[in-house]
Amino acid sequence: MTTYDDSPVKWMLYPSIIFLVLGMTFGVFIAFNGFVYPDYFSGEYVHFGRVRPVHVSHVTLLWLLSANIGLFYYFVPRLCGTPLYNVPLAKVATILWWFSLILGVYSFPLGTNFGWEYAELPTWLGFFPIKGLTTIAWLMVVYNLAMTIATRKYEKMYVSLWYTMGTLIWTSFTFVVGNFAINWLPGGISRVNVSWFYVHNLVGLIFTPMGLAQAYYFLPKLANVPIYSHRLSMIGFWSIAFIYAWIGSHHMLHGPISQWLQTTAIVFSIWLFIPVWTVVTNLFATVGQNWAVYSKSAPIRFIIMGTLFYLITCVQGPLMALRNISEITSKTDWVIGHSHISLYGTFTFFAIAGIYQAVPDIVRRPLWSNQLADLHFGLNLLGSIPFIFSLWVGGFWQGMLWSNWADGTSYAEFHRQLTLLPFLDTIAEMWIFWVLRLIGGVIILFGNILFLVNIFNTALLEPKEATL
Amino acid sequence: MTTYRIEKSGWLTLIGIIVLFSTAIIAVLIYPNYVDPSWTKPSSYYQVQMYEISDPNIYIGTSLKGGQTLQFVQRLQKGYTLLAFQENETTRFTGPAEFEPYITKMNDSKLKLTSRLLLTREPSDASEKRLRLQKAWEEKHPNWEKEELLKPYFEVLEIYDPNQQEAFVVATPDQLVQNYVDKDYEILDPSDPYHHHPGVIYAVNPREFRLSRYSFNGTLLWKYDPEGTPLKGLQELEGHELNFRSKKELISFGEHLFAIEGCWYCHTDQTRTLVQDVVLNGSAEYPAPPSSPNEYIYQKITFPGTRRIGPDISRVGIKRPGRDWHKGHFWSPKTTSKGSVMPAFRHFFDDDPRGTDRITVGIPNYRFEAIFQYLMTKGTRITPPTQSWWLGKDPVDTKAIIEGKRG
Repeated sequence: MTTYDDSPVKWMLYPSIIFLVLGMTFGVFIAFNGFVYPDYFSGEYVHFGRVRPVHVSHVTLLWLLSANIGLFYYFVPRLCGTPLYNVPLAKVATILWWFSLILGVYSFPLGTNFGWEYAELPTWLGFFPIKGLTTIAWLMVVYNLAMTIATRKYEKMYVSLWYTMGTLIWTSFTFVVGNFAINWLPGGISRVNVSWFYVHNLVGLIFTPMGLAQAYYFLPKLANVPIYSHRLSMIGFWSIAFIYAWIGSHHMLHGPISQWLQTTAIVFSIWLFIPVWTVVTNLFATVGQNWAVYSKSAPIRFIIMGTLFYLITCVQGPLMALRNISEITSKTDWVIGHSHISLYGTFTFFAIAGIYQAVPDIVRRPLWSNQLADLHFGLNLLGSIPFIFSLWVGGFWQGMLWSNWADGTSYAEFHRQLTLLPFLDTIAEMWIFWVLRLIGGVIILFGNILFLVNIFNTALLEPKEATL
Repeated sequence: MTTYRIEKSGWLTLIGIIVLFSTAIIAVLIYPNYVDPSWTKPSSYYQVQMYEISDPNIYIGTSLKGGQTLQFVQRLQKGYTLLAFQENETTRFTGPAEFEPYITKMNDSKLKLTSRLLLTREPSDASEKRLRLQKAWEEKHPNWEKEELLKPYFEVLEIYDPNQQEAFVVATPDQLVQNYVDKDYEILDPSDPYHHHPGVIYAVNPREFRLSRYSFNGTLLWKYDPEGTPLKGLQELEGHELNFRSKKELISFGEHLFAIEGCWYCHTDQTRTLVQDVVLNGSAEYPAPPSSPNEYIYQKITFPGTRRIGPDISRVGIKRPGRDWHKGHFWSPKTTSKGSVMPAFRHFFDDDPRGTDRITVGIPNYRFEAIFQYLMTKGTRITPPTQSWWLGKDPVDTKAIIEGKRG
C-alpha cells in the first residue's frame, strides 16, 4: 500500500477555502456598493472599479485555480499509485504561489491593475515580479505533476490524467500568452485579440479540463460506480483540445475586428456542443447506474448540479456567439451571468465536491457534519437561482431595451427618440434584478461559510460521537 | 513494482495537443496581423501626426500652485515644426523683408508653411501702425458710425528669428483638433519626413511663452507675462517649479488611470456595427462611424469591454468635448447624470489649498487632466478635420435600415 504525503494538498486547499469565502464577500460588497446602493462607501480605494478585480481574482485565482491545484495534488498521485514526485518542491511552489497571488490581488485597490481582463495581476509590485513569481510557481506544479505521471505505478491512464496533462500544457501556454506575450505585439486590436484568446482559454482550457478531471475522478469515487464510457470522455477531451483555442474573438462580435475572424470564432463556438454532450451524457449516465446515491451524498449532488449548470452554460455559450443573439445579449448582465454560471455554478461546485471527498480522506476522519453539507448544498442551489436568473433575465431585458429602445421612420426621428429615453433609464430598469442578485449572493455566501466551518472542523476537531 | 514512463501513445497525445494548439495560435493570433492591414496601419496621416508630432510637443500646466488656470505651451523645433504666418482681417505683419516670403497674405491662394524657427512679437511701433491701419479703415468706411460698425482692433505683429534650436510658444487651450491643411499649401523648406505627407498639422503666428516670477505670502510663484523672460529649455518647463507635462504623457497616464481605476469594467470602447451603437454615438444628423481597428494602434492597452454599465466611450471626444462637464461629472456623477451608478472620483481633485475659492467642485489635479486628455482622443483623430468623419462611413446602412429600405 502506497502512503501519500498530503501536506501540499492541505497547503493549497485550506487557504483556498478561506479565499472562497473572502472572494464571495467581496462579491456581495460590490453587488451592494456598485449596484443596489451605488457608491454608498465612496472613495479612492473602495469604489467599484478597484474592488471588482479583487473579487474576480479571488474567485478565479485564489480560490478556484488554487483549489484545483490542491485537488490535483490529491488525485493525481492516487491515480498513478505513487506519491507526489517531489513534496518539498510542491511546498516551495505553494509558498511562492500564495505569496505572489495574495500580494498581487490585494494590491488592486492601491491601483496596480494591469488593465487586461483576467490578467489584472501587476507585472511588478515594488521589488516583486508578481506575474513572474506566479508563473514560476505554476511551472513547478507542472513539473511535479508531470513527473508524477511519468513515474506512475499503474499502467492504465484514467481519463482524469489525460485532462490533467492537457491542463498542464494549455495553462502554461495560455498564461504566458495572456500575461507576457501580449506586450510583444503591436498595440491595438492585435493585443485585444490575444486578450480575448486568453480570457476564453482561461475558462475553456484551464478551468474546464481541470474541473472535468475532478468530476471524472470524484463522481465514480463518490458514487462507487465505474465511469459510464471511457471513449465518450476521450471524444470530449479531443474536441476541447481542437476547438477552444479558436474561439476567442467571439467576444468581439460586431466589434472592430476582422469579419472572417469573427466568423471563424462563431463556427468553432458552435462545435462546442460536442464536448458538452459527451461530458453531460457521461456524468449523468454514470450516476444513472445508481440514482439512489444522489439523495445520500451532498458532494454527488454538487457534481450533478454542476453538470446541469455546465449543460446550461454550454448551451448559452455557443448561442451567444451567434451574431443575432449576441446583438441582444452582448455587453449586458447576461455575460456576467454566463461567467458566473460556469465558474461558480459548474467548476466551483465540482471543486467543492472534490474537497468534500478529499479532506476527510487526507485527515482520516469522517466529515464533521453531513447535515451541514446538505444544508450547504441547499443554500448554494437556493441562492444560485435568484443570483443567476436575475443576471440572465435582467441582462436580456436590458439588451432588448437597447436594441428596441427607439423607433422612427427617419434617422432624425429615431435619434430624437433615442435621446429621449436615455441610457440611464435602462440602468434604472435593472435595479430590481440587482437586488435579487444581492439576495442570491448573500445566501450563497452564507452557505459557503457553513462549508468553511464544516471543513475546518473536520480537519481540526476530534470527530463527533458515533451517533451521527 | 515497475514504473510506467510515458509510452508512445502518451507522446503522441502530447504532440497532438501542442500541434492543435499552435495551429490555432498561428491562425487566430499571428496570421491576422499580416493579412489585415487595418490592424497595424494608421487610419490617417492626421492620426499619425496628432500622436507623434502634436502630442509630444504640447505641454499643459497650471500657473498657480494647485490652481486651476491651465496654461498650454507648445514646443517648436527648428527644421521640424511647421509654422504659418497668416494675415487676416485684423492681423498684419511688419518687419524685415527677409521674412516676407513666409507671410500668407489675405488674397494668397496657397498657405505658406515654413520649418524655420521664427516667432512673432509686437513691434515697438505697434500702436502707431495700429492707428494708421485704423485710419485707413475709417477712410474705407466713411459712414462707419452711422452703419454701427465696430472699429477693428488691429493686431500688428513682427516676425523675428530667435536663433534657437527650440522655442516655447503659447498654444491654443483645449484644442481637440489641430490646424491641419491638405490642399492649397506649400512648404517652403521641407526638412522632416512628415513634411511630405499629403497633409500636415501646423502652428499659426507663434507668440513666445514668457513668464515672470513674483512672491505671494512668501511663496515664489510665476505667471505668464509677454514681457517676461523666455524659458531656458525643456528642463525648466518640466522641472519641479513649473511642472508642465506633455499631452502625450498625460494621454498615456490617462490610459493607465483608465486601467487601474477599472473604468473599463463599465465603459466599453467600441462603436459596434449595430444600429443601436452608431445612432447612440452619432449626431442628430448622422450616425457615428463604427470603430475600426486602427483607431487603437497608439494605445498600449485597449479596452473594448464586456459590459456596459455606463455608456460607450469610443466617441466621447465628439459627444462630450467640454472640460467643465467632465469636471462636474467626475466630482459627482449622480448630480450631473441623474440615476447614474458611477462612483465619484474625488481623488481626481485636490483640496483647495488656500480655501479662497468659491467653487463647490474641487480643483482638478493632474489625474483629472490625464483622464480628460485620454477621453478627448476618443473619436477625434480618426479622420482629419478637413473631412467630415461620418460622411460616407455608414457601413451599417443605418439610415436605410431605419427608413425601412433594407431588412
